[in-house]
Amino acid sequence: MSLVSDLIAVLGRDRVLDDRLDSWTYGKDAGVFRGEADVVVLPESTEEVAEIVRVAERHSTSIVPRGAGTGLAGGAVPVDRNVIVSMIRMNEITDVDPENRTAWVGPGVVNLDLSRHTEVHGLHFAPDPSSQSACTIGGNVGNNSGGPHCLAEGTTVNHVLAVEVVLAGGEVVTVGGGAPDPIGLDLRGILVGSEGTLGIVTKVLVKLTPNAPDVRTLLCAFDSVEDAARAVSGIIAAGVVPAALELMDQRMTEAVENWLKAGLPTDAAAILLAEVSGGTAAVKAEAAVIREVATSSGASSVSLAADEAERQILWKARKSAFGAVAQTAPDYYLHDTTVPRTRLVEAMTEAYAIGDKYDLVMMNVFHAGDGNLHPLMTFDASQPGSFERVRAAADEIVEMCVSKGGVLSGEHGIGKEKRDLMGLMFDAPALDAQARIKEAFDPGGLFNPHKILPQGSRCFDFGRTVPVPDGAWI
Amino acid sequence: MSLLAPGTTAHHAPGSVDEMAELYRRLDADGTTTVVIGGGNHLGVGNPVLADVSVATEALDAIIDYQPDDLTLTVEAGVTMGAIDELLDPHRQTAALPETEPTATIGGVVAAGISGYRRSRFGPTRDRVLEVTVVTGDGRVVTGGARVVKNVSGYDLPRLATGSFGALGVIVSVCLKLWPEPESRATVRLDDPADADSLYRPLAVLETEEGAWAYLQGPASEVASSASIGIVQSDGFTWPTFDAPGTAEMRVPPALVPDAVQRLNVPFIAQHGVGIVAMATEDPDVLEPARSWCESVGGSLVVTSRSGPVDAAPSIDPWGTPPPAQSLQRRLIAAFDPRRIVNRGRLPGGI
Ligand SMILES: Cc1cc2nc3c(=O)[nH]c(=O)nc-3n(C[C@H](O)[C@H](O)[C@H](O)COP(=O)(O)OP(=O)(O)OC[C@H]3O[C@@H](n4cnc5c(N)ncnc54)[C@H](O)[C@@H]3O)c2cc1C
Repeated sequence: MSLVSDLIAVLGRDRVLDDRLDSWTYGKDAGVFRGEADVVVLPESTEEVAEIVRVAERHSTSIVPRGAGTGLAGGAVPVDRNVIVSMIRMNEITDVDPENRTAWVGPGVVNLDLSRHTEVHGLHFAPDPSSQSACTIGGNVGNNSGGPHCLAEGTTVNHVLAVEVVLAGGEVVTVGGGAPDPIGLDLRGILVGSEGTLGIVTKVLVKLTPNAPDVRTLLCAFDSVEDAARAVSGIIAAGVVPAALELMDQRMTEAVENWLKAGLPTDAAAILLAEVSGGTAAVKAEAAVIREVATSSGASSVSLAADEAERQILWKARKSAFGAVAQTAPDYYLHDTTVPRTRLVEAMTEAYAIGDKYDLVMMNVFHAGDGNLHPLMTFDASQPGSFERVRAAADEIVEMCVSKGGVLSGEHGIGKEKRDLMGLMFDAPALDAQARIKEAFDPGGLFNPHKILPQGSRCFDFGRTVPVPDGAWI
Repeated sequence: MSLLAPGTTAHHAPGSVDEMAELYRRLDADGTTTVVIGGGNHLGVGNPVLADVSVATEALDAIIDYQPDDLTLTVEAGVTMGAIDELLDPHRQTAALPETEPTATIGGVVAAGISGYRRSRFGPTRDRVLEVTVVTGDGRVVTGGARVVKNVSGYDLPRLATGSFGALGVIVSVCLKLWPEPESRATVRLDDPADADSLYRPLAVLETEEGAWAYLQGPASEVASSASIGIVQSDGFTWPTFDAPGTAEMRVPPALVPDAVQRLNVPFIAQHGVGIVAMATEDPDVLEPARSWCESVGGSLVVTSRSGPVDAAPSIDPWGTPPPAQSLQRRLIAAFDPRRIVNRGRLPGGI
């Protein structure tokens, strides 16, 4: 029997999509790469996922798990011809436990829907990617996603207590648990952020966070990006870790303001959105520190969101920034390197210089408190050579950030996009160790091949590290 | 001080990462088994390790890189909790590590996955290890993670290493995420631990057989207003400790801590909101039924220290029922320590 007919036997005709249009539609995520799938399947239960894995193994076809496809690094993009396993139908929220502040959720649950669902208990899911109205919990787990409010609360992995996962061979295991410090190796910790390369996550036990009694959001305007970046370092150094600390440069503010009319100061070279949350006295005191540091770093104005409506519009402005870019050019490309926060100013300055060197329009909107940059370059993919130019500039930015002690990705993942840059960050033994982790989980290379690790990662052995005498040819 | 683990015939204390790697290449070639010793504080956790030689991290005691303005600290594995506090205190920063074990080394704390009392606010230690370097059982030097606070580049080796009890090899250095110390603190005596439920995320709520306390920190005005839930005992923190040779820990979903406390008639320290209840006993008649209950609610009961020699047979299984995916755990360990020479058998299931 063919792959498709075997899959139909498991799922029925409706949930197996195999026409050209489907494989085209599912061939992309929100990044710039495109692939083409053999077939797309829509399982509704863990048992079905396990059966799909077995069918794929029988047909020696690899598998790409997929959430909402909002990833930016090509994680959900098929490289070979694969079976795409779309998890969006597994979107049930079960067992909300307000006492223990946990819930079991299907990987297809949309991030924002989860927080809406638990609002009645005064709880929310802390990771809030700007794409939260579309992206799924499974995708968040896949990429260990962050968001503006991950500065104080940490990224997805800090909010996932257990996962049920289908491994090679269709084996189903649940790792982690609702009690603290489960015994044995932390398989949960390695599965989160593994970008679908180790198995398919079919259920997630999330930790929920109590909504803060009080919150204050400040909008600080600066005459230079460097001053704004300096204020970020200054706030952290002053001993305040805000709930969120986001920076937007003038080009970005203009793009956002142009369609949202949120009241952002478009004459400022940069704005900083700072939020503190907690007890009333605490937020008052912390907001005062932020105001003081921003002012002494050269802020031209600092204003406080007057009410919840004003606060919401500020966050809408921040979270819709990527979307607003569409008015400027048809395509954009960005990396999300993190640098040590003390090197934010120089990293920003050099990133703009690289953009200028390649004659590209660069806009910035990013999680400044974490040092997590998002230098975004606009282009028109229909112009020959334009993407190559953008890619060259982007790679140069990554190299510059890594040379400052930074990393390739702070939250978007490595995927297909950055796997060939992994050697910038990791030496041969480190890459080899990662390849061995992949092998331990997925010896047959079934799950999401050609992602994260560059070709040839699994190469290190002692036979080859014996020092070669000077002048020898190898 | 050099510790020679019971039963071992030789003691190595390499003074550099390269020396450690060189040592393990040699031991691996010979198939010599090893037990790794940090401060010696947590040797009683897990199954006893019967090894040929002991390997200490005591000579790996360098502060590699402290970036106060970046809130990160990179240190070698043999640096103690006490030394870290001494370094950070003048900068009013903390690594939020275990508060009551000044001689424990950071390598030992990370390897054993031990957290302090402030975890409801700052997360477990595991959430604050940003980078780790391990010398594998076969003498490779492998680094994972990086010295920045947010990173998803590659598989999360720091989390895998935290709580690995040496199964991947010897942890030789780590980078930690730090937090600023607050303006103000208070230890507040409560009539009932539930009185703290009205607070938004207190730093810790602890209960012992002597009563209950809330630990508060933050801006002075916030601490003052929250402290009204009880009687302020101190404007600093006094953390409870045990003075008992044998201890164990119940780990249950947080809301079950009051139930766990109800079941006890031995000295205990309960962490409300976290789900950990430490007990000063090694009596199997107390521990066995407590373990059955913990496991029935999805938790575990773990022996955290034992009286008598650490290589003696324990009176109760230190871990209880092993977690799922044992064969996967074995394959992962084999990727780092193919001949299984580092702390062999220590993990649940005797891995
Ligand atoms: C406008 C915009 C704003 C964004 N803002 C942010 C932000 O603030 N912070 C941030 O971190 N990211 C952000 N992103 C990136 C993206 O939204 C996140 O990475 C998101 O978590 C992806 O979720 P998804 O459901 O779309 O996953 P997909 O893109 O479908 O998949 C992501 C990865 O996870 C894997 N995967 C998906 N489901 C499973 C599963 N069940 N089991 C195993 N693996 C699985 C896939 O194979 C893939 O490798 C943004 C993207 C856009 C377009």
